[in-house]
Amino acid sequence: MQTSGTSEPIVRIRDLKKNSVNFVLQNVDLAFANSFRRVMIADIPTVAIDMVEIETNTTVLPDEFIAHRLGMIPLVSTACDEAMRYTRDCTCEVRCQYCAIELHLNIACHEAGRTMDVTSNMLDVVPTSKPGAYGNFEQDDGGEELAKRVENFGHPVGKGDPDVPPILICKIRKGQELKVRCIAKKGLAKEHAKWSPCAAVSFEYDPHNKLRHTSYWYEYDARAEWPLSENAKEEEPPRDDLPFDYNAKPNKFYMEVETDGSLGAQEVVQKGLQELQTKLANLIVGLKPEPPEADVFQGGGGGALGGQPNGHEPAQTGGWGAPSPATSWSPTRAGGGGGGGWSPTRAGGAPTGAGGWGSPGTGGGWGAPAGGAGGSTAGSWGSPSSGQGWGSPSQQQNGWNVG
Amino acid sequence: MNAPNRYELYVLEEGERPVEVTEDTKIPNAATIKIVKQDHTLANLLRSQLLGMPNVLFAGYKVPHPLHPYFLLKIQTDGSVTPAAVLEKACTDLITTLATLESKFKREFTMNTVEGGVQEDAYGVPTSGAQWESGGTYVDLG
Ligand SMILES: [Zn+2]
Repeated sequence: MQTSGTSEPIVRIRDLKKNSVNFVLQNVDLAFANSFRRVMIADIPTVAIDMVEIETNTTVLPDEFIAHRLGMIPLVSTACDEAMRYTRDCTCEVRCQYCAIELHLNIACHEAGRTMDVTSNMLDVVPTSKPGAYGNFEQDDGGEELAKRVENFGHPVGKGDPDVPPILICKIRKGQELKVRCIAKKGLAKEHAKWSPCAAVSFEYDPHNKLRHTSYWYEYDARAEWPLSENAKEEEPPRDDLPFDYNAKPNKFYMEVETDGSLGAQEVVQKGLQELQTKLANLIVGLKPEPPEADVFQGGGGGALGGQPNGHEPAQTGGWGAPSPATSWSPTRAGGGGGGGWSPTRAGGAPTGAGGWGSPGTGGGWGAPAGGAGGSTAGSWGSPSSGQGWGSPSQQQNGWNVG
Repeated sequence: MNAPNRYELYVLEEGERPVEVTEDTKIPNAATIKIVKQDHTLANLLRSQLLGMPNVLFAGYKVPHPLHPYFLLKIQTDGSVTPAAVLEKACTDLITTLATLESKFKREFTMNTVEGGVQEDAYGVPTSGAQWESGGTYVDLG
């Protein structure tokens, strides 16, 4: 009765821009639509700054603050499942051109009486340096990733485009300086929300609340006091003479996917659907009695890099940890424990809820159109049983989420 | 310092099996299936697909602990198929649906190409030059 068999899913794009797509999804059930939403937010890899070495920071912002802000800057990540490796899957010791992108920022203000903006446009991509102690061997295993990169891969989104406002990192005055070296890595939003390609994914169904998945607070009359969402025009208004249909299920979903620019909206939608299929395919493989080794699909279909040596302990081998005397970097070190000069840009950590992924630059954290059931889906993380039943089983039995 | 790597939340360890099926000893035609390194995204999708299948008497899932990256899926069938077989069927049906949706999206995307030539600001609002500094040209998403 759900998605299988009788009815195929229907999709209608209402509006398409480079970084956002608005569509109506029909003939699928709530769980399907919600999994689609979740996978777009959290399961599509992008590139983001992950380590920051601060050489000079005489700005008013502390190192960690700067490092965190740098991490949140969206970088062009087009086709990054083929154009880049995860460091854990790479053949290199610490990092290399296949699994890391290096960006430099070096700016000082010499002008009196003026406040200067330090923006994402001042980040320059440079060839990935060879790390520390083992830095002299030639790290090139002939990988094809570099050939698959677009020209501005790893650059801050909007750099070089006069119509895109740059992202403000901090403001400096005369005599202040910021000199940092950043390493960007490929990652997933499950690890940190900065890797999410999505700025906001709005998700609404049943704009007239016919299913009563939500209950409105009101003074005298809920219908008079609550505005209807735009999407209400797509559906018949409820008739007062009809009894409540407690068997009815949501079937039509209004979604808008807005990205932070690291990936286009179209790529996010398509990668999302592919990723869901990959998850299911891996499950089918896992259900077979004795699956042949290394037959597990890699996410996104690309780069089957499994089983390569060395992937798993990338940390602290090379010269990044302790400030090596050879280099003249003298990090103004942040607290950061034994981690050397690197301020991890993951301050604040867990990507729970909305916090954190208000992508800089884009109007992060915009909810859905106000009104009807569903509302904004800013925080997709917690168990799906939050909110008014969307994406969530509404009943529970002994701790089991049952339909 | 000794925190586990974050990616251990979603990457199988070396040699780790992604699925483990345990048949129920007390309930007929029932099994608990442990699916490792996956979360609600997959779990709730499967649960709902299974409940729509005629042979399934019960389907439910739980994530026993938020810090343990696996979920348990409990399935009871009417006996005509095993829980594992019905789960596999649910997966293939879902893949079919997703593939259909993917091709429909592809068609929709080619029909609605991003309007050419129109410059957009970061909010997707068409701009007539660099006027973002004035701020406040927000699109009404209503
Ligand atoms: Zn590498």
